[in-house]
Formats: sequence, structure tokens, C-alpha cells
Amino acid sequence: MTLSVALGPDTRESTQTGTAASTDTLTAPDIPWNLVIWNDPVNLMSYVSYVFQSYFGYSETKANKLMMEVHKKGRSIVAHGSKEQVEQHAVAMHGYGLWATVEKATGGNSGGGKSGGPGKGKGKRG
Amino acid sequence: MAKAFKYGLKGITGFLEPAERELLRSLFDDVVSMLEPGDSGSQDPLAALIGLDMDVREPSDRALRRLLPNVMKDDGAASLEFRQLTERSLRETKIGALRAASLDLDKDELVLAAADARHWSMALNDVRLVLAERLDIQDEADADHVHQMQDWSQAEDVESYLALVYNFTTWLQESLVQAMLQSMESRP
Repeated sequence: MTLSVALGPDTRESTQTGTAASTDTLTAPDIPWNLVIWNDPVNLMSYVSYVFQSYFGYSETKANKLMMEVHKKGRSIVAHGSKEQVEQHAVAMHGYGLWATVEKATGGNSGGGKSGGPGKGKGKRG
Repeated sequence: MAKAFKYGLKGITGFLEPAERELLRSLFDDVVSMLEPGDSGSQDPLAALIGLDMDVREPSDRALRRLLPNVMKDDGAASLEFRQLTERSLRETKIGALRAASLDLDKDELVLAAADARHWSMALNDVRLVLAERLDIQDEADADHVHQMQDWSQAEDVESYLALVYNFTTWLQESLVQAMLQSMESRP
């Protein structure tokens, strides 16, 4: 990502705007999937944080934390859910121009974007 | 010179010179023409109606592949299947944002409501992704190198011209996103 200037104070609580209403699905709810965002040298750090705040309704603090994880570790898991849910998120992220993929959770990943996974350094283009 | 976007009583406002508006209009139009689906005369009309495209393939053009990436890292078949279901509407979303931003360029002064600003940020981002592929920006060092290019009097070849255009759109998007973040903060 590209550096932005002047990130504001992290006082704001989450505001939900862009999140589409999730529809019930008939797939097994106990097989979690992850939505992964990959680093790239083009997207602005401010823009990535804006997308996390406005689409997922994350607080500025959480959005910035996930954004920095993408920037520093090369990738970050930013949401969990059923396969259908994370696929829907992925299309929305592609709409914003973020580089998103989905993957099956490999167990124990319930930490809300905590697990960085094996991403190393800069994301290679896929 | 363009003025940075700012958030105020009228919402998000910005100002662009006529030459800058023309430049942005042609950039938006270029990306729209990249995204417009090819001739699909063989397309099943019912499939088209519900957004399916069984003829779709992973794009061979790198910039287009960045705009329309695979949804799975290591599963080409599953990614292709997903592409058949979703790529058409993703292209339409992007084209819609680019066209909306292009329409706003008819006036000197830009006054953007929340939805307009979102379209602008998406459109500028897609333009930057395409320019970055043309400039071969692969990592942060490449990005820094391009960022050095700030002086229009140095623009003597296509690459330096593209670098200046990239830096202009980066600056514009950054100021827009800062204004959008401010407007989110001040919302009740």
C-alpha cells in the first residue's frame, strides 16, 4: 500500500453503511471461510481503511489495525463467515479495487482478523 | 491548479481546471472501454439477463486481471466458476462508478454527496490500478520511484508523463478519501 498522511484520532465507533443484508444460506454453518486482503503497492492506506470502515462497519481503530496488518504482513484476514458470505464480501472488495481472496479457515481462526497466516512481505501478484 | 477535496458545509467539494477535467474524463473513459465486455453475440439471453457469462475467462491483460482478480489464490477452476457467476456484474459496478464520476466532470466545481464521493474514490482507484500496471509498479520501491516524478517540465517521454498522471490521481484520491473519512466522523 501507499502511505497516506494524517490518520485522525481513533475515537470513532463503528458506523454501518455499506454492508449488504446477509441472507440465510443452506450450507453447513460450521465450515468457516476467511476473507483475505492482500497488500499491493498501489492502494492508499487511507482508502483501505475507509473501505473497511464503510463496508464492514468496523471502527476506525479496528480498520486501521487490519490495514496495517495487510501493509506489514502482506495479507490479513478481515472477515469470517460461510463461503457464500465471504464470496459476497470478496466481490464487494473487488468492486472497490482491493485485492481479496477467499480461503477455507484452517481451524482455530476465530480471532476476528487476528491471524496473519503465512503471508510474507509483499504480496506477489496472482 | 486543482484544489484538494475538502469536507465542509456543502459536503465534499473540489475544484479542477478544464485541462484536468479533460484528462480525468479520458482516463475514466479508457478504463470503461477496458471493462466493457467483448462482443458476446453467442450469449444466451436468459443467462445474460441474470448476469451469467459462461464464456468468461481469466483476463490475459495484467491490468484487467488486477481489476477483476481471481477469488481463490490457488484454485483456478473454482475461480473461473465464480467468475462466470459474478464478473459481469462486477464489470458493471465498476463501469457505473466510472461513468458517474465522468458525468460530475461537467462542472468546474465539484460538489459530491456521499454516494458520488464513493463512486469517485472507486473510479480514481481503478484508474490508478491500471496506470500502475502500465508503469510496472510491482512493489513499494517501484511506487517510491514513480512518486519522485513531480515536475511536469521533466515529462519528456510516455513513461514520465504516465508517472505524473499517476501522481496527480494519487494526490487527488488521497485528498478525497481524507474528506470522506472526515465526513464519516462528523456523521451523527
